[in-house]
Amino acid sequence: MTALRLPATDAATASHAVAPRIGARAVCEALVREGATTLFGYPGGTVLPIYDVLREFPLRHILVRHEQGGTHAADGWSRVTGGVGVVIATSGPGAINLVTGLATAMMDSVPLVAITGNVPRALLGKDAFQETDIVGIALPVTKYATVVMEPDEVPLAVAEAFEIARSGRPGPVLLDFPKDVLQMETSAPHPEPHELRLPGLLRPVRGDVPEADDLAALIARAERPLILSGHGVQIAGATDLLRQVAERAEIPVAHTLLGIGNIDETHRLSAGYAGMHGWMHVNKAIQQCDLLIGIGCRYDDRITGKTSTFAPKATIVHVDVDRSEIGKNVHTELGVVADAGDLLAALLRRLPPCEPRTAWLAEIGAWREVSEARSWHGSGAWREGRLSADYVIDRIGEATGHQATLVSDVGQNQMWAARYFGFRHPYRHLSSGGLGTMGYSVPAAMGAALGAPERETWAVAGDGGFQMTMQELATLVQDQIPVRIAVLNNHRLGMIRQWQEIIYDENFHSAELIGPDLVRLCEAYGIPAWRATKPEEVDEVIARARATPGPSLIDFHLDEAQNVYPMMLPGKGLSDMVEGGDR
Amino acid sequence: MTGTVTARTLVPAGEPDAVSRRHVVTALVVDRPGTLNRVSGLLRARSFNIESLTVGTTDQPGRSRMTIAIRGDDGHLRQVLAQLERVIDVLEVRDLTTVPHVELELALVELSSPTDAEGERRLRDLLATAGGEPITTDADTWRVRLAATPDRIDQVLEALRGFGLRRLVRAGAVAMTTPASPTQPANGATPT
Repeated sequence: MTALRLPATDAATASHAVAPRIGARAVCEALVREGATTLFGYPGGTVLPIYDVLREFPLRHILVRHEQGGTHAADGWSRVTGGVGVVIATSGPGAINLVTGLATAMMDSVPLVAITGNVPRALLGKDAFQETDIVGIALPVTKYATVVMEPDEVPLAVAEAFEIARSGRPGPVLLDFPKDVLQMETSAPHPEPHELRLPGLLRPVRGDVPEADDLAALIARAERPLILSGHGVQIAGATDLLRQVAERAEIPVAHTLLGIGNIDETHRLSAGYAGMHGWMHVNKAIQQCDLLIGIGCRYDDRITGKTSTFAPKATIVHVDVDRSEIGKNVHTELGVVADAGDLLAALLRRLPPCEPRTAWLAEIGAWREVSEARSWHGSGAWREGRLSADYVIDRIGEATGHQATLVSDVGQNQMWAARYFGFRHPYRHLSSGGLGTMGYSVPAAMGAALGAPERETWAVAGDGGFQMTMQELATLVQDQIPVRIAVLNNHRLGMIRQWQEIIYDENFHSAELIGPDLVRLCEAYGIPAWRATKPEEVDEVIARARATPGPSLIDFHLDEAQNVYPMMLPGKGLSDMVEGGDR
Repeated sequence: MTGTVTARTLVPAGEPDAVSRRHVVTALVVDRPGTLNRVSGLLRARSFNIESLTVGTTDQPGRSRMTIAIRGDDGHLRQVLAQLERVIDVLEVRDLTTVPHVELELALVELSSPTDAEGERRLRDLLATAGGEPITTDADTWRVRLAATPDRIDQVLEALRGFGLRRLVRAGAVAMTTPASPTQPANGATPT
């Protein structure tokens, strides 16, 4: 997946002034030039100049039901296409409603451009109707945010926003347009790439990575090496290179939550999902390895637990495109600031073929057998007639041939999806990994389904997260967006309940949720929906959902007390995981 | 100007991170509305207390330089500087703490006028140790300026309390790198 690039244009025409057009048209022209095809938005007074001209451009606009849904949808679209997602909102409340989605994208390095209207320049700072300082609000949750104060600045501002969003470590950018800037005419041309004024934009050095010499030397000396691969590998489009490096040097590959899809989980060198609710054998491998190579990950607290006990026997290597990540969370012996793909390619050129690491792989394999027997094959609640989440996720994975895009929400459902779907390909697993935004799944799946219509899209949500953004059901209907929603309904905030059970001495408070009858709710929206309460009903409802061309929903009524195990308790380390009983 | 900041470095291993001390950081930034907000917001979000922060124009058009005096762990600060470097409108960040540099601060002080010639002589001698001189004088009040390192200003202010110090305004430190062996600077601005 390569980032979209500015289309080549005739340099002779670009330097000449173009026929005057209003700022709103200049915005739309610039969006088209940057490769945008689908916008998610909600109109309002200050962005109406854009909506007034939108029909003139090859831009599909999806009318969401809440601006938060718009940012998540643009985020989902971006994660499956590799392009820059675009969301539009009006001033004041509309703009503020973007904030959660912007922060979600910021934490997960997702390139977005958010376009907001604001009150006309003469009213700025006067507490006019629906005025807010959205740039000030957005600063800490965006890669860049600025207000465009002159119509002549519009083409350059949009081009720069896209360049900032997708370059280096990607992230969201917000552009705020006072309404009169959108209404006034400008003859300013669209800039050529060299005309962008971004002297402070950090761009990775591309090409060979000399530090790969040091890493190759470390690998040559290691007996128990392990790669911990994160989101950066997929952002760099480097999953093939990762597999080749792993095969050349016989190194098992673990992944973070957002690193799901870096390697086919059935590959003999795929170790699996690491971290707080990761597989025991993977966490054990981290604790026992003598060389840990983090590539495009952040070594965040959900992976490391207590950092003083993390990977105690390992030389820790950290490769990231963002220098500020290196050494931030764990002590790093070798840090390399580079694009993950460049590093892996440089490494591949240097690595000699390697004898199979039979002993090390057998050790991990033995741990895996124990780990899978305890956490999955042995959980067996479904064999006793109870509907367990692991079973539901496994059946969706099987039914879709592990090919579907799966967008998870946050909480237990997210961990079950990560553990049991069996991902084989990159860009198929979407989740709010860093910010942990409940309500992410349905709107993000909406964007993902539009971005990758060639494969089916599933949203997996708990009943809590689903209720946070379920207004987007109407959007799914209006645009007939084929998202299949699996609600893992335990009538609880499951992860809250789990923490209260294990850490707060079963003092359950505010964990029980009264929700609507989801099948009847869907009926009201005109969405086919089914309920399953027993394991033997699961395959049939999945088949029905898959046979439905538009949106559909399955309400899985789960065993209400099922927890996600294993679990690393807060403040503890990876060697200190809690395993549940048989549930 | 290449228009590109590049970064590819090995991070030094094994440095002790727990040393907490005062750092003087300079940042070359694009002179645009919001830049100060971005920089100060980032420091606030990382729980740094800014001792002083000055911004002013430079020899380059459209570029400002910030001098930030801040206290913190070396490791934590190094992290924050890497994050500051990431801010789009920040072009260059340097921690001057371990490189030769000169540092200077300006202070305006209001004092009771000296009551006799001996008092005035002692006051003028004291001001001279911090690049200081009276700006306005009348029978009741002297307003004086000091221009020296923040440390020197601290010392002189302590002594000035004996001269009826009434009001004080400090500008915050500015700093500039020097060659490895600078000649003795004027105004008590000693190389650190």
